[in-house]
Amino acid sequence: MTAAPLSLEQAPPISVPLRFFLTAPAFGLLAAAVLLAGGPAPWGSRASPVLLAATHLLTLGVITQVMMGAMLQLLPVVAGSPVPYARATGAAAHLLLAAGALALAAGLWGGDPSWMRAAVALLAAAFAVFLAAAAVSLARAPVAHRTVQAMRLAILALGVTAGLGLTLAIARGRGGGAAGYALLAALHPAWGLLGWIALLVVGVAYQVVPMFQITPAYPPVLSRGLAPALFASLVFWSVATAFGDPWVRLAAGLMLALGLAGFAAATLRLQARRRRRLPDPSLQFWRLGLAALLAAVALWLAGQARPALTAAPAYGLALGLLFLAGYALSLINAMLYKIVPFLVWLHLSAHPAGRGRLPNVKDVIPDRRARVHLWLHRGAIALLLAAAVRPRAFVYPAAAVFAAANLALGLNLLMAWGRYRRIIAGNATPSPDPRTHP
Amino acid sequence: MTGERLLDVSALEPPEPLQRALAAVATLAPGEYLHMRHRREPLPLYPLLQERGYDHRTCRRGDGEYHVLIWRRDDPEAAARGRAWPQTEHRP
Repeated sequence: MTAAPLSLEQAPPISVPLRFFLTAPAFGLLAAAVLLAGGPAPWGSRASPVLLAATHLLTLGVITQVMMGAMLQLLPVVAGSPVPYARATGAAAHLLLAAGALALAAGLWGGDPSWMRAAVALLAAAFAVFLAAAAVSLARAPVAHRTVQAMRLAILALGVTAGLGLTLAIARGRGGGAAGYALLAALHPAWGLLGWIALLVVGVAYQVVPMFQITPAYPPVLSRGLAPALFASLVFWSVATAFGDPWVRLAAGLMLALGLAGFAAATLRLQARRRRRLPDPSLQFWRLGLAALLAAVALWLAGQARPALTAAPAYGLALGLLFLAGYALSLINAMLYKIVPFLVWLHLSAHPAGRGRLPNVKDVIPDRRARVHLWLHRGAIALLLAAAVRPRAFVYPAAAVFAAANLALGLNLLMAWGRYRRIIAGNATPSPDPRTHP
Repeated sequence: MTGERLLDVSALEPPEPLQRALAAVATLAPGEYLHMRHRREPLPLYPLLQERGYDHRTCRRGDGEYHVLIWRRDDPEAAARGRAWPQTEHRP
């Protein structure tokens, strides 16, 4: 099973992915702040203004931010196809996405249509820039291996999610309640979670799990078929939902559940066979994320078997929390703790100033600091799930611990960035003055 | 004395293989070459070696077994040994 060759010469400047990564924890903190300000009352419904605002700060400000930054880094390296104008694209997409996420949160929370209109404009621009650049890069990819295939589908799914979301936002900006709103509101999160997020995670996992955890490659049957199967199931599910066909809808849902559970099981199995036995924080984040994914699938199946379960607001909340905070955030953290030190090391090694002072990649973000974040994140997930069931008792502690977890992540990433900057700056002159640099 | 320094990085995660290889080549004695064993082809290493004044030769023995021989560009003895590998391979 030949692995895709890495072509690191085409990698963009470190600022391109890092600006996304460094901003993401700030949005996590904002989401926590929104939850704190909202208190327990909004937890009676997943679609309350406070929860919608917090959810989108999470999905756009944290998750999509990191995924966009990662794609801009991975496209040239893994797909072997550079992103046109990477620096400008990265800067534009980053600023537009960040501003758009803020505007959307404000619009969802306060209900002011002018914020919604601003959000629509900003986010439409952000996605247009990013999708165009990514599509060009993916279309030109010289080798269409499994990760490229998954990325293409993920980008399509992002386009669908964004289109649905913008339509919803426009409807809300006009005072809400347009025809078909409920349908769009059901499809939008499905395409976002099971399309954009799940497909990109799968595609990236094919690379990073064998590479960073020294495992065998994913089984070819799975890696060839999973992304297309998930995408096709999502399409069928959407059509069946639109036309009100419960059986096709159920069958498609089961296919999605099977695909996601299969991915989780296959990854856990690979990781059990890793060559490096000592578990590091990244691996522990992976396990946490995959366990949460399996729990989400199990909860969904339970809801299918006993529809009465799904009536309680806690059900929808728990499902969303398991998928977003449990699965998506944990895996993002797992990957950041490998990718960021690697990028710092890589760019330092290519920089004439950094070459002589290369840190050990393990020192860029020490394990013990990542572990602090790991424990806070575990606590946050547990408390958030508890809050879904008992909001009055748990919303404040959950939001507080979630804030602390994001703070820990932010500090860890800033530490890595600061290290990079200091090393570069410390050797700014090619021939250092021997009096000050012995 | 075969002049070979063996470095097996197959069980290491990135960028440790690169890190160790770069550290090892910096301390090669005259006439010595580095024999780096890895489970993937270390493509990112090649440009880094080039700009530091090293030449290399890669042999692939099946999937997941790559042997990279590295020597200083201005060391003809090491270059000859590296190019002749595996004839010069140290057998225990």
